[in-house]
Amino acid sequence: MTAEPQPQSASQRLERAVGVVLRAGVTLSTVCLAVGAVWALAAGESGGARVLLQIGIVVLLTTPVARVVVSIAQYVSESDWPFATLTTIVLVELLASAVAALLFNKKL
Amino acid sequence: MPLVTPSLATIIFVAGIISGSLGALLGLGGGVFLVPFLNLILGFPFTAAAAISLTTVIATSSSVSAGRAGKQLINMKLGMLLEVATAGGSFLGGVTAQFIAQSVLQKLFGIVAALVAAIMLTRLRRRNVILDPSADPGVLGGRYYEEESGTTVTYRVKRLPLAVTASFLAGNVSSLLGIGGGIIKVPILNAWCGIPLRAAAATSAFMIGVTATAGALIYYGRGQLEPALAAVAVLGVQIGSWGGMRFGAAASSKWLKILMAIVLLIVTVMMFARGGR
Repeated sequence: MTAEPQPQSASQRLERAVGVVLRAGVTLSTVCLAVGAVWALAAGESGGARVLLQIGIVVLLTTPVARVVVSIAQYVSESDWPFATLTTIVLVELLASAVAALLFNKKL
Repeated sequence: MPLVTPSLATIIFVAGIISGSLGALLGLGGGVFLVPFLNLILGFPFTAAAAISLTTVIATSSSVSAGRAGKQLINMKLGMLLEVATAGGSFLGGVTAQFIAQSVLQKLFGIVAALVAAIMLTRLRRRNVILDPSADPGVLGGRYYEEESGTTVTYRVKRLPLAVTASFLAGNVSSLLGIGGGIIKVPILNAWCGIPLRAAAATSAFMIGVTATAGALIYYGRGQLEPALAAVAVLGVQIGSWGGMRFGAAASSKWLKILMAIVLLIVTVMMFARGGR
């Protein structure tokens, strides 16, 4: 029973870390997309606007990946091996999608 | 691909606000509204609509979950476990989306949505909570403070294989149709796996970011994502989901369920109308 508060605080630490990653990713991507969209609409799709929009999209797509990476680190530091393994499988699946995206891209 | 004009950008921005607020309210991700709007009303190619929608789904998931993190409403362990299934399903869905006839899947989705709506309506009063706050929720169960009733809600997860199967199917449908997949997961987690609606919706919204990313990466790699239009859709959805999240805290579980069932039936009709062509 004395071990009871331990997993509770570990899950709270994970929630906080995940919250920070998600908020940072959302803020950065939203700023890039907002500035890029206004720029593109005001001055036509210039090179700068296009780059900002691409950065915004890429940051948006990598935020969930970053959240998974942080979760793996947290589970490893807590020595929670079953969940470290499960979360690593999720990361591998996301990387498989990225590889598939590159393969599809080369075919076209 | 339609030409990016200020008026088209404005229309998509407003559509994003509406679907974002509805999505946050229902834990659906908002794509169920955005995809048919872009595809049927604006005449976008289905893949372009799905790509934009998946991008907004990721944004919604990230911002809604960032706001909820720390409140223990998201069941992280269950979420991580089920993500193995949703991400795998989404990856396979994203790859097979290029080879399978969309109309077949749309009709199948319509049938599933109608069945789930019927289940929701027959289980309106089910609470799925253990009233003793000291009860052990187990490894995958959860415990959170419900503002509505001022009590600590405890629950256990039942029928895990069903939850995993539903998550795989949800991930698959997510990248095939460009939606979050909460439409499949949330009712099943709530009706059969013992998870209170609020926690099921929060956990689903959390998982959806990873699910949609597995699909969105493939669309992005194929060049099916128009960045400028995705940007205005994402910005609209961000504003809408922020509003929906604030309103969602005041909405009761019963009305959320009724509203969700109605949404599911509308989706059924739209899926059949689209798939029948």
